[in-house]
Amino acid sequence: MEILVYGTINSVSLALMGLGFAMVYGISRVPNFAHGALYVICGFVTWTLFHKIGLPYVIAIILSLGVNGALGMLMYRFVLIRVRGMNISEIIASYAIGLAILEGLRFGGFRGMTYTLPVFMEGSIMIGPVPVDFHRLIMMVIGILLVAVLWVFTHHTRIGLALQGMAQDERAALMLGIDSDLMAMLAMGFGAVLAGVAATLILPLGNIVVESGYHVLIMSIAVCIVGGLGSWMGAFFAAFIIGYAQILTVVFIGSHFQMVVAILAIILTLILKPSGLFGQQKELEERV
Amino acid sequence: MLEARDLMVFYENMLALNNISIKCDDNQIVGVFGANSAGKSTLMYSLSGIMLDIRKKEDMSGGERITLTGEVLFQNQNIMDLKPSLRAKAGIILCPERRRLFKESSVLENLRIGGYLATKAQAKYTLDYVMNMFPALQKLKNRLGGFLSGGEQQMVAIGRALMAQPKVLLLDEPLLGLSPLMQATLIKATKVIQEETKISIIIAEQYARPVFPIVDYAYILENGAAVMEGTGGELMDNPDVKSAYFGVS
Repeated sequence: MEILVYGTINSVSLALMGLGFAMVYGISRVPNFAHGALYVICGFVTWTLFHKIGLPYVIAIILSLGVNGALGMLMYRFVLIRVRGMNISEIIASYAIGLAILEGLRFGGFRGMTYTLPVFMEGSIMIGPVPVDFHRLIMMVIGILLVAVLWVFTHHTRIGLALQGMAQDERAALMLGIDSDLMAMLAMGFGAVLAGVAATLILPLGNIVVESGYHVLIMSIAVCIVGGLGSWMGAFFAAFIIGYAQILTVVFIGSHFQMVVAILAIILTLILKPSGLFGQQKELEERV
Repeated sequence: MLEARDLMVFYENMLALNNISIKCDDNQIVGVFGANSAGKSTLMYSLSGIMLDIRKKEDMSGGERITLTGEVLFQNQNIMDLKPSLRAKAGIILCPERRRLFKESSVLENLRIGGYLATKAQAKYTLDYVMNMFPALQKLKNRLGGFLSGGEQQMVAIGRALMAQPKVLLLDEPLLGLSPLMQATLIKATKVIQEETKISIIIAEQYARPVFPIVDYAYILENGAAVMEGTGGELMDNPDVKSAYFGVS
């Protein structure tokens, strides 16, 4: 029972981390290695707005999500737009931005264990014999809602459909008047907002530390590789596989092997089915 | 309406289009015929601006150097440097070679993605129009684009292009790989669409025979140059064309 409950919670939080990465990659084919940095910076922006400026929590969250979205779009507009289509340069450029943000934060004094955000709701509830706090439940509900909203958005709105078209065949989308740079910028913005949503949901459970940026990046890459690059539904399912595997590892082997699971999942996927569970990179499979 | 003047396209030092001048007036169907590698697709890409995107991508990845010279005029304005998405917005819509459907989206979604530039009312009207034009699509509405036959794919591709509210529709090899029956259906539909919507259509094809009867004017490309032009009737009576495209001498 414990495994079931905490496995699900862990899976949802992994899915939250990975969704933004998967979405950006799926649409613009840019692997956004600054994803972890966007996650962390959203936490710190919320913290600053809430604790230093004294805004109400909800407004602080909404504002910092907005800031994150703008940051993502600016990142694309001024840096990534120049390297899009050049795989190695994309990774280097976005990772450099991520490093700059994370180490800049550390340099600016954001270190230590003093940065925390309040949970949405105090208290806990018993699910069978397992105590679960309300915040984790809220996180789960919002996570699952978010996937539903994303599905509706990509299938039933004009922009969402355009993003879907571009993800599948950029040039064909271009022929229909869908501006690929504008869409890629929007995708970056959405990805950054998703990273922010993950941050606001997950960070209150612990401290905001710079290191979690790297952790989130690795986890989201793991989720996306296992699920198949470019497929955010795949990422969602992969999050459940890795999420449960991690909890099982914690229960039966030891908590310090948790990270190994993610890395092992990447390696196994790349050996056994390089295109991932729902991947579109079929060429890769043929080449292997 | 849409015109190319002295258009030249080089891939590195290879001449893909050599001084092409073609013209499509309002309310006309213009044919561009030629064998493989005659430059039909290059011409279509240059007219729709996709060539600029190809050039940009090649530049970035250090691939082939592509050079374009000459003029492309749309409604008497030079649009040579206009981005492809803006050209589409102005009304130049390309329905590409090999259809390039969105394979993981359903037929309906393909059409709705095509309606990106349309207003809500336009999209609704055109969707109905496409479904009436190609009743076969009605049953396939929820089928994924990748699971359609060639003919069905081509219908969706044409419908998708119509959804973008074209003023000039560029059809690149719409008959490729289709049965003669399907070819006849599509050609008839093309004619009807032109008559009903009053848009101009430029149609590039290898198989000239089924297309000739519906074109108002046609050009024949060979090795990147326009070697002959004339109305459909004129070209059909030309002995060279007859031997090359109809197999009679």
